[in-house]
Amino acid sequence: MGKRSFHLETKDPIIKFAVLDKILDLARANSLWPITFGLACCAIEMMCASMARFDIARFGAEVFRPSPRQADLMIVSGTVTKKMAPILVTLYEQMPSPKWVIAMGNCAISGGPFVFEGQYNLVEGVDLLVPVDIYVPGCPPRPEGLLEGLMKLEEKITGTRRFPVPEPKW
Amino acid sequence: MTMTNRVIEEFKAEFKSVDITEAPYEKQGYHLSIEARTGNLLNIIDFLDKREFYIIDLFCVDYQDYLELVYFFNTHRELCRIKVTLKLDPVKPVAPTISNTYTIARWYEREVHEFFGVYFEGHPNLTYLFLHEEIGHYPLRKQHVPVPDGDKKLLNSFRPHEEENSFFINLGPQHPSTHGVLRVVLKMDGEYLISAEPVLGYLHRMHEKMAENKSYMQFLPNPARMDYPGALLFNLAYVEAVEKLCGIEVPERAKYIRTITCELNRIASHLLWLGAFPADLGALTPFMYAFDDRENILDILEDVTGSRLTYCYFRFGGLYNDINEETFIDATKRFIERMRERLVMYDKLITGNVIFINRVKNIGILEQGQAKKYGFSGPVIRSTGIPFDMRKVDPYAAYGSIDFEIPTGHIGDNMDRYMVRMKEIEISLNIIEEGIKRLPSGPFKTEKVPKKLKPPKGDIYNAVESTRGETGVYIVSDESDTPYRMRWRVPSYSNLMTFPHLSRGVLIADAIATLGSYDIVVPEIDR
Repeated sequence: MGKRSFHLETKDPIIKFAVLDKILDLARANSLWPITFGLACCAIEMMCASMARFDIARFGAEVFRPSPRQADLMIVSGTVTKKMAPILVTLYEQMPSPKWVIAMGNCAISGGPFVFEGQYNLVEGVDLLVPVDIYVPGCPPRPEGLLEGLMKLEEKITGTRRFPVPEPKW
Repeated sequence: MTMTNRVIEEFKAEFKSVDITEAPYEKQGYHLSIEARTGNLLNIIDFLDKREFYIIDLFCVDYQDYLELVYFFNTHRELCRIKVTLKLDPVKPVAPTISNTYTIARWYEREVHEFFGVYFEGHPNLTYLFLHEEIGHYPLRKQHVPVPDGDKKLLNSFRPHEEENSFFINLGPQHPSTHGVLRVVLKMDGEYLISAEPVLGYLHRMHEKMAENKSYMQFLPNPARMDYPGALLFNLAYVEAVEKLCGIEVPERAKYIRTITCELNRIASHLLWLGAFPADLGALTPFMYAFDDRENILDILEDVTGSRLTYCYFRFGGLYNDINEETFIDATKRFIERMRERLVMYDKLITGNVIFINRVKNIGILEQGQAKKYGFSGPVIRSTGIPFDMRKVDPYAAYGSIDFEIPTGHIGDNMDRYMVRMKEIEISLNIIEEGIKRLPSGPFKTEKVPKKLKPPKGDIYNAVESTRGETGVYIVSDESDTPYRMRWRVPSYSNLMTFPHLSRGVLIADAIATLGSYDIVVPEIDR
């Protein structure tokens, strides 16, 4: 699989509306619809993030969709194996544009703890398959980490940050 | 007369030329070992089958000069673990299939076939189960052995063929109700299932291969990533196996803390299932409630272990650090009090719900007779009425000195599996309470454990009761600082393989309910 590239070319839209685009971006950034795509351990923390305590709904991203056709954010939460890679790419291609990808956890970023000499079944980083917007490190990252990743993505889409960066308390 | 002595006597009477040796149970984790040959393997299997032995595991070890197939057996009534080995020629390894007697061997043999290249004569469907077709060699062989060209056709993974009046659908690998990346190929006749065939390996993370590349200490974080909802229990299985292999003593206090934290983890895992199971049936509200309670446990465990999910708290000879007497015990006591109230609420919220009852009652019935053929364990076997629990059968940590009951079901349907798990939460609370009461003071770890462990030559099988059933780890040591071979016996594997049997001729919605009631974790199955 190694050298087969799944990168898609993203082109700028043909028609642009200066102000309307900005308003649309603002709307998109504040209502991201992630696809229900739990891969491994990180998926549990993703579920925690959407539950009452961390409440991802505060940031408008609680509508987890089982169908890629209804989603515009893919949170790759876990290890991507060679057997899973073509399916992941298919799902990404099925999502309507504009779409974003968050690589959650060390496995999705670089293969994490499962990289060793002679490994035969691991894609060392999901960015070898699809373009990644935000990386959230951790094994697994805390739900707060994922929420921060979400805010970084909002910042990337709109250009401004909605919430202040919290000061560490220790 | 114990089971072991009886088996030896009967075996010697029936097989005059086959050796049966007693093994030191404390050191090796099994009572008897039998060296079979290709000619008499099926007779030995028959002998064990007649005496109600169930198959724990079937796997292969590559000793370079020869391949060794290892079969583990045990009974549900009394602990009597038997290791049957069969030596094979490494150039052209062929063994007879035992899947006619033990149905679960059908999948174990497929696994051995694709990882070691062993052929099983008479196997109904020897195709790829885990691996991608592009992987051109047998991964767990010690030397590079490519897959022969002539076999590539045979090794094609399951490809459905359309027939008249039936069609195929894929359940997964991306599907909310498969709890991860499980794929089940369903052959349908309208809304009814004709057959179901699990396809695994979408999360095969090579744990067993990794073990052969890392030292005992370096492998410590891995078990937690196999079964993440019940991370501590897998951690315990591994740590105890290595302790037994090296003869490391564990202080009493550590044993009690292990028991308490493991039970907390068990409740957390059951709560995750309690949220996910009704969600599979369409009820999303319990999800919110269950996670609310689960967060309480995560806070308590984070305090002592340092992480929220993939704990790596136990060390060889003790623990990573001691618990804080005040904060930990206070928080745990508060949690027990709260959880008891919540259990009453769950009873009203879910158990008494008419829609829920109609969806699960008398659906997915497993019979006691199947337990032997499939070797399923945990709440799945207890729901059929067999009180089989490793904590009672073979007490480890501090379970031997704490008294608790084992909940069992009546008919083995989805409702029974639900009730058994709910009861288990209650019993876990009692165990934690008892454990806190008896918690001794003293050191929490043994000093003098070397950083670089070099266990003596030999093998060990150690099993614990994880949230999903009997979790075993088999380690072969060759006196170096890395394991020669490590094999994980995972409960979800044998639990899941009853699904093709249970889903025959049922509605697709009922099949989903059955799949949800197993509480499977895919990384554990795929390893």
